[in-house]
Amino acid sequence: MSTTKASRIGEELWKTRVDKINAELVTLTYGTIVAQLCQDYDSDYNEVNKQLDKMGYNIGMRLIEDFLAKSNVGRCANFRETADMIAKVGFKIFLNISPTVTNWTSDNNQFSLIFEENPLADFVELPDDGRAQDELWFSNIFCGVLRGALEMVQMQIEAHFVSDVLRGDDTTEMRVSLVRYIEDEMPPEEE
Amino acid sequence: MSTNDYLVLAGTFHGVHAITRTITPRIPVPSPPSSTSTTSYAFPNPGIPATGLEYLETEKFRLTCFQTLTGTKFLLFTDPLTTNIDVVMRKVYELYADYVMKNPFYQLEMPVRCEAFDRHLGGWLRGRT
Amino acid sequence: MSQHPRHSAMLSISTSNSNLANAGADKQQPSQNVSTPTQSSSPGLRVPSNRKTIYDRHLNRSRTAELSRASFAFLFSEMVTYAQRRVTGIQDLEKRLNEQGYPLGLRLLDLLFYRTMSSSTSSSLSSSSTSSSPPNRPLRILPLLHLIHGPLWRLLFQRSADALEHSVSPETPNEYMITDNDPLVNTYISVPREMSMLNCAAFVAGIIEGVCDGCGFEAKVSAHNQPTEMWPGRTVFLLRFGDSVMEREKVLERAGVR
Repeated sequence: MSTTKASRIGEELWKTRVDKINAELVTLTYGTIVAQLCQDYDSDYNEVNKQLDKMGYNIGMRLIEDFLAKSNVGRCANFRETADMIAKVGFKIFLNISPTVTNWTSDNNQFSLIFEENPLADFVELPDDGRAQDELWFSNIFCGVLRGALEMVQMQIEAHFVSDVLRGDDTTEMRVSLVRYIEDEMPPEEE
Repeated sequence: MSTNDYLVLAGTFHGVHAITRTITPRIPVPSPPSSTSTTSYAFPNPGIPATGLEYLETEKFRLTCFQTLTGTKFLLFTDPLTTNIDVVMRKVYELYADYVMKNPFYQLEMPVRCEAFDRHLGGWLRGRT
Repeated sequence: MSQHPRHSAMLSISTSNSNLANAGADKQQPSQNVSTPTQSSSPGLRVPSNRKTIYDRHLNRSRTAELSRASFAFLFSEMVTYAQRRVTGIQDLEKRLNEQGYPLGLRLLDLLFYRTMSSSTSSSLSSSSTSSSPPNRPLRILPLLHLIHGPLWRLLFQRSADALEHSVSPETPNEYMITDNDPLVNTYISVPREMSMLNCAAFVAGIIEGVCDGCGFEAKVSAHNQPTEMWPGRTVFLLRFGDSVMEREKVLERAGVR
């Protein structure tokens, strides 16, 4: 499946199958979640990153069912297709954005998602405490969501942010690597 | 049937389903879409994997299994004459994604006991008849 | 915490106790943004070279923006799950959800004022100081309740609330009820039978409380299940205003303020 086809599917689903809600309610709700974590973990931002990733993982394992139920798409033939599916269909139907897929490694196992827009981080400024801009990945929940969702469709991946405009970087970029296809989860195919 | 009966049925079905998948005769892919034919053997992903048992039929009822890409299986008991089972299955899956997956009080892998799921499914089914 | 004066309008690393103190600082932000859009006043923070900071982008940008209900539902569900792990009982859980909603109330209040202000008196906006109260700021309880029942509900849920009532009991003249027949935050939630008292719309109660406090109306707000056959998720938000608010009401009543 081509990138343009994935984009078309995403656009179509967003228009016809997705119940909408005021974006600001979502943005504010995510903000209050991060703020609560910073409070609970005493601004230990590394721990906050971990917790956000964990929350995302929990969400991802559930969100994948919603993605599949709404999109009715089949299994991807390769990791490149998976990347387009995430960027052009997944992010589109949940957050109405389509991050750019780029910077593939030659083995087609690693790519970057570049976020032009990020509704979760809208109107956000990190605390000016000399640490947050170096330690906190505000949108780290995305990494967990991808990890949880893909694990449910038998892909073990690793994801992390490498830059964020909230930190003063010029781009917001997430790196996604395929670790392996999980075969033992499937009923025994080879004897 | 009691919850326990359902669990036993689900467990039994799951086992039989797995076996039917393994005994599915494998045919070499006639024309591989790309040059990944060697790796496609290693992963179950490319192409269409074996589906396993899809339905069981007796004189009195039909048991249909719908499996999602995550491996979640829905078993539906109907009259053997019922048509449009796939429509019902898709709706069940959507309602499951909404009223089970988005419910913080539902724990994954546990029996589904979500009042809103039952209510909406019941309402939808009544609207169809 | 040292970062308080510096936090953004949307994200506050703060406790709900200190939010009150911050409400003033928050309130100034919209007009600052408009009058000095080019200078970020934060030498301590790095900004991207394309200057896509909160000071450079318009506040109304997301006014009509939409996201999926699913993304909210998953975030909210995870918020409830997370809160549940750290509490001992239903009351405790509701308290925590309330506290998570509270800062949203404070911020939404600013946003509501800013937007109604900028649409009515946009020309005077850049020169006006924030010390003069916005024209639509409620001084009495009733206008405040209408603000919540109407504009706030519409901003959050795209529709007004379903009912607004005053307590009929003479003992509790400080109690008001706002009803939502089908709270959006509870759409996908089924509360287990053993927790039947719980209402996760305590989060919304916290939002209301934040709005009330932000307006200078000290109040406690709670969410209660009042199901009917037609509306199984019907929720009544009970607002209990503090004594000081009730005394001020009497004074303002005599002074003829509406």
